[in-house]
Amino acid sequence: MEPLDLELEEGELELPSEPMHLNMGPAHPAMHGTVRCVLELSGETIMKADVQIGYLHRGFEKMCERGTWAQVFPYADRLNYVSPMLNNVGYALAVEKLCGIEVPERCQWYRMALGELARISDHLTCTGAMAMELGAFTPFLWFVKARDMIWDILEEETGARLTHSFGRIGGMAAPPTDAFKELCKGSLERVVTLMEEGESMLLKNRIFLDRLEGIGQISGEEAVALSWTGPCLRASGVPYDVRRAYPYLKYDEVEFDVPVGTNGDNLDRFLVRLQEIRQSRRIIEQVIEKMADDGPINAYAPGVMLPEKHDVYTTIEATIQHFKLVMEGAKVPKGEVYSYTEGGNGELGFYLVSDGSGTPYRVRIRPPCYPIVGGLQKLITGRMLSDIIPTFGSLNMIGGECDH
Amino acid sequence: MPSFKLDGKPIPFEPGESIIAAARKAGVEIPHYCWHPGLSAPANCRMCLVEIKPPAGQRPIQLDVLSLDPKSGEYTYQPKPKLQPACQYPAVDGQEVLSDSSSHVGDARKAVQELLLLNHPVDCPICDQSGECKLQDYWLEHQKTQKRMRDEPIHKPKAVVFGPTIVYDAERCVMCTRCIRFMEEVAKDPVLDMRERGNLNEIMVAPGRQLDGNYTLMTEHVCPVGALTATDFRFKARVWFLRSVKSVCQGCATACNAWLDYDPRNNAVYRYRPRENAEVNKFWMCDPGMLSYKRAHEGRITEPRIAGKTTTVAKALESAKQHFEGVPREAIAIVFHARYSNEDNWALKELALTLLGTRMFYRSGGAPGTGDDILINADKNSNTAGVNQLAPSARPFADLLADIKKGAVTHAIALGGATPGEPETDLAELRNLKGLVTISAHDGPLTKAAAVVLPAASWAEAGGTYTNAKGLRQISEKAIEPAGSSQPAWKFLAELGKTLGVVPSWSKLKDIRARLLAVEMPSQPDVSAQAE
Repeated sequence: MEPLDLELEEGELELPSEPMHLNMGPAHPAMHGTVRCVLELSGETIMKADVQIGYLHRGFEKMCERGTWAQVFPYADRLNYVSPMLNNVGYALAVEKLCGIEVPERCQWYRMALGELARISDHLTCTGAMAMELGAFTPFLWFVKARDMIWDILEEETGARLTHSFGRIGGMAAPPTDAFKELCKGSLERVVTLMEEGESMLLKNRIFLDRLEGIGQISGEEAVALSWTGPCLRASGVPYDVRRAYPYLKYDEVEFDVPVGTNGDNLDRFLVRLQEIRQSRRIIEQVIEKMADDGPINAYAPGVMLPEKHDVYTTIEATIQHFKLVMEGAKVPKGEVYSYTEGGNGELGFYLVSDGSGTPYRVRIRPPCYPIVGGLQKLITGRMLSDIIPTFGSLNMIGGECDH
Repeated sequence: MPSFKLDGKPIPFEPGESIIAAARKAGVEIPHYCWHPGLSAPANCRMCLVEIKPPAGQRPIQLDVLSLDPKSGEYTYQPKPKLQPACQYPAVDGQEVLSDSSSHVGDARKAVQELLLLNHPVDCPICDQSGECKLQDYWLEHQKTQKRMRDEPIHKPKAVVFGPTIVYDAERCVMCTRCIRFMEEVAKDPVLDMRERGNLNEIMVAPGRQLDGNYTLMTEHVCPVGALTATDFRFKARVWFLRSVKSVCQGCATACNAWLDYDPRNNAVYRYRPRENAEVNKFWMCDPGMLSYKRAHEGRITEPRIAGKTTTVAKALESAKQHFEGVPREAIAIVFHARYSNEDNWALKELALTLLGTRMFYRSGGAPGTGDDILINADKNSNTAGVNQLAPSARPFADLLADIKKGAVTHAIALGGATPGEPETDLAELRNLKGLVTISAHDGPLTKAAAVVLPAASWAEAGGTYTNAKGLRQISEKAIEPAGSSQPAWKFLAELGKTLGVVPSWSKLKDIRARLLAVEMPSQPDVSAQAE
């Protein structure tokens, strides 16, 4: 660990003259995502703050540049690990853009439904954890109970609760299960009920509100200048949502509102996330209406899609296809692409460069919470020490995607 | 130079050349199975079909054929040009040829590919060719569809033993006839032929014969699919784990260019593959040469020895120093070796000239064998010409044995283990030396008789240049890491020099290469030659 920069002036004799230096994190329980804040305190007021990231750095981008294009999916899962499906789909869309592939309509609806489920789970985790860190353990348990219901659906669909690796270039690993629509209908109702119960406990709580209202305020202009996106930017009153501004998949065919805040404080970020859960539910309900019950889920792209396992074992053509794709990787056309989607925290971008081989030449990610954490210092300087907890919590920093 | 246009790109050609050969020279591959640049063109696989535009003012050769119009969903008559095999069709000046840019050509390739895979077994997981198979490559490039046939494929004989080196699988065979033509045209032994017709076609060995001789392994290498497999390589390695370096065959003085395939995971060499060089071996290699890769692991010396007992490098060097103490310079012989690179032999000469000042140069090498008029040279050493060039004054090995008998030579520093004579007699003569220090990768009379042996890296473990019988200096690259304590001979020679009390003038391969350039053809007087 690097030493604190004390900058003490030795000649001064005033008492008490030394500012207090405090090391918050990277192992502090409230600094989830492993962030270190080096603070200079005067009493309990933060005079200076130095936010340091990088404690969860795995070299994600370089890891991706070793394997084949398809082998990036498990890495993408571990970016924003509270909403892996959004990362999976974001990466798949980027590669498909480079290959010029469009997945069938059914797949597009399916991706939207799974993505919105992941968004709900992301927001429930963030808001729940934030409440817990302020001492409200009950709402956290309720939120996590609701999140578990979402994960049950995802487990039913993908076989995994957290890291699904379910996306594929040109489609998904499997079509929706027969129970998918019923599961969504049944669970979403209860998820929102649980969320509302938790919400009602918090929004009438004086202690909770006092620690959120007017704290960690940022204006729309400042947030844009920091290149914030997602719920944090919308809480400051800027209605930028990739799903609305640059619709992908079928987002232009569903109705939903983009909730915005007015003050850009912790409370607004909290409320925007809760509103977005309701909007996601709306989207999923429409998707269920519109998604066909049968039809292809994968694009016809033999150059990138793996063949059916049954065919691999029985026909030479599929064996060859499987062999070439697994051993050499799908040959993605030479070129570069920037593709962006609305992730749990905002604009999740992938910049990919292909040299025409089976291995990505360059994978560059634009993680939404990287610029957001960049603004933390500004939010907490001049505030009380205890304000760090709700402010940091409301930003939803996720180390997996921030440290790249 | 006349030229034609292939997909709009001008391709120069020599008069008489086929379209596919000219395109290959220009770096454009037209897909093919049966055509091979070193063999005749039977045009039987039909994979290289191209569309040739008629000369201005001439009617195209075409037919109206029924084809499905995807828009209307109805069958209509569409003109279809007569496609020509690029392997047989001679290039004509100004001609316009369409390959990848013609939809007719694309359809034809797809159809050929579908038919070739029609009866192909699901063998990729157990096939040695998997990973370097044309059927796999072209499926992805030109077919990308499933077969439409729903019948049981035709079954044909599998694992037919053709001879001591080759096993044939008729189900995988695409009947390109490359192996038949190779045996007939290059090996001059037409022992292979084809029987039956259509999908019952298979390759056979002439009755009463088996596929043998010195050029059988080449049939496996010309085979574009996994029909012919080499007994030696069968089920030994998967090709995607192998890495290749540009190597030079050490089997004889022809020094054929080869790819040396090795697995970096277990530091082992698996096979030689011929590497094209029009000046040396064209596209071919002989069986003994191709199997000589085994010398990278067989009969090796990997640890230093003192009087036949394994020891450490430091102790071996110290022992070498003791052996040479007080010995008159004239009594120390220097023995070059024709199986070691120019670098190693140069280092030995440099050591001899600057450190020992001796003039007693001799040359050794492996025993001669038989040659032929295709590739095989009777001289079984890869660098005879190089040694002769470096040390023209070096006397034959027989002279060394005579000098030992006379007592003129009592001590020696030698490279390599093999000697040209009978191993037993050579060994008995060499045992009369009082002090023999040998730096060698392989065991032989010179190492068995040695007081001190230092383990040299084999040609596969160190880069080196070798001069073949034609006088061509060729670089062989390093493949695997040196086994045990071995290291390149020139490095051990430098260490030996240091131990004997002088600073060697070389420390890197680069230094030696630069100095080697100064050693020219015999027209330039050699330093040692002048001194004599």
